[in-house]
Amino acid sequence: MRKTLLLLFTITTTAALSQETTQTFNSTRIINGHSVETLGKRVLEYRIEHRFGDFAGENGGIQTAFGFDNAADIRFALEYGLTKNTMIGVGRSKGNGFPYRSLIDGFFKYKVLTQNKAKGIPVSVALLQTMSLTYMKRVDDISQVAYFPEFYHRLAYCSQVIIARKLNERGSISINPTYVHRNYVSADDQNGLFAVGIGLNLKITKSLGLLAEYYHVFDDPDKRLDRKNSMALGVEYQTNGHNFHFVLANATGFGETQFITNTNTNPFIGQFRIGFSITRKYKL
Amino acid sequence: MRSGTVYILLFMAFAAGCLVGFGPSGGTMSLREVAVSDNAPVEEVLISLGEKPLVQHLDSYDTDKAEMGRQLIEQGYVDYKSRQGKRVSINFVCTDCHNQVREFDSEQENSPEARLDYARENGLKFLPASTFWGIYNRTSFYNGDYFKKYGELVINARDTLANAIQLCAKYCSSGRYLENWELEAILHYFKSNELHIEDLPLTAEDREKLSQTERLSPEMKQQLATRISGMVRREYPATFLPAMARNQRLYGKGGNVEKGKFIFENSCLYCHGGARVTYLDLNDRHLSARKFVRHLKDYDYFSLYQVIRYGTYPKTGRPQYMPLYTKEKMSDDQLNDLVAYIYDLANEEL
Repeated sequence: MRKTLLLLFTITTTAALSQETTQTFNSTRIINGHSVETLGKRVLEYRIEHRFGDFAGENGGIQTAFGFDNAADIRFALEYGLTKNTMIGVGRSKGNGFPYRSLIDGFFKYKVLTQNKAKGIPVSVALLQTMSLTYMKRVDDISQVAYFPEFYHRLAYCSQVIIARKLNERGSISINPTYVHRNYVSADDQNGLFAVGIGLNLKITKSLGLLAEYYHVFDDPDKRLDRKNSMALGVEYQTNGHNFHFVLANATGFGETQFITNTNTNPFIGQFRIGFSITRKYKL
Repeated sequence: MRSGTVYILLFMAFAAGCLVGFGPSGGTMSLREVAVSDNAPVEEVLISLGEKPLVQHLDSYDTDKAEMGRQLIEQGYVDYKSRQGKRVSINFVCTDCHNQVREFDSEQENSPEARLDYARENGLKFLPASTFWGIYNRTSFYNGDYFKKYGELVINARDTLANAIQLCAKYCSSGRYLENWELEAILHYFKSNELHIEDLPLTAEDREKLSQTERLSPEMKQQLATRISGMVRREYPATFLPAMARNQRLYGKGGNVEKGKFIFENSCLYCHGGARVTYLDLNDRHLSARKFVRHLKDYDYFSLYQVIRYGTYPKTGRPQYMPLYTKEKMSDDQLNDLVAYIYDLANEEL
């Protein structure tokens, strides 16, 4: 009995001393890209994401109800927390047709470090590995990416280190060095690309916050002439089990293999879009 | 008589003297008294004094079953040797709401103030349900106003520990009924943590009587049994309170902040800290506190004056809920203390 009491006391004391930072970001995503957060153990999350058409410009404006008539991309996903620090997910997205559509993606994320004041750990760090596969019907035009000479040409990968710090109760920042590799690209493109993402979260209240995200791609400007960097702003609303994002973004695709590499829309001429993400957690 | 025989007789006399209390210990208790009185299970002693066995009576406990019971209580499923069971509930484990250790200095105490003082002194959580410590020795469960919450479900659970466990597994934890072997394992675990004579505030006179029960008359045995039984907590009353009257609410402008801090950290954060049990993730920073301060005067789940007294209810798609705190588990004064701390926290500078 005394041993049990001692054990309980030790557990209680240990738990009290643990000052792991929580909610650096409220969701597993900042806006388009991943955040440092993982789902809790045995938590299943259903995710619905939507990006509408161009808000303004040639393809937007009043004629398309500021983009609401078009769906640039739609993604449904199931994601699951294997352990406290490990999560996996699979999703299906429409794909924006640039250069292909009908995508299935999967990812694995592992939180290596958690910011902890008591232990002197200043940042949280997570490793992310994603992969996407397009199963669209191949085209006959050999000049197109969607020609897919071999099956593996349909695959693309992304490896990312997510380094985040909760600056204070309201503000968090994330730096995401990223490498994306696509097995098959057009002649004016590059298979492997480095990028660095930066994400910001400003909590106005416990439930309401502002988000910003920008990915800078270090590519060859002589090759990738029309490509643009992905940038997005968002408002986040968190409830007990739900998370809502309302966003403005220039990127049309979902997943790092798409929005980092295949964004060619310029937000400064109206080629940005309204979008949203809704997630719902279930404990299994 | 040979000298060797004399020595043997002297040694036997000395040994006998030790056994009946005249040994060289010099104390008031004999060796036999210590052996009998401290380690003896209370139920066995009471049975030897003529009391009826408890409904949940077990002659002894099986260590393997007790370990499986411990796993069910603490982790919600069994994974022991070759035995693997399904999770009882995806939402809770027993220890989310129940401590497993003594919660009062005295078994006669039942006030929330005494419980809080003991929790602070001993580093315990301040949880909404009664402790499992001594539950094997109890005779009544889901007492008082729990009928208001669970209706006729409590009728069969009130006098039978096994039924009470099943009610808790299925309804309180939004889980499933236990299989027979799981229920048996929990009962063996509770048996392994039953009350012993050393847990009771017996006087030297009581111990003296216990050491020579065979010499007591039937009437004296009955008196002793009644006295010992009276020291055992047989039930925890449960009184549901309405939300505090508005003219009694301090809304943070009064109350013991230090006590409130302890309650917040050892009640609220025990489940909400890091979203351990629920998705509502709270911490001891002002954004969490402001969420509640904004709702203090409302009639909704985020009004502490409401949610502490009524809890929340499981609903389709969200079986998790927050249990309520009865009058015996948190007083109105303690609720004002909690609000005082949260009010202070909400007004901390960034």
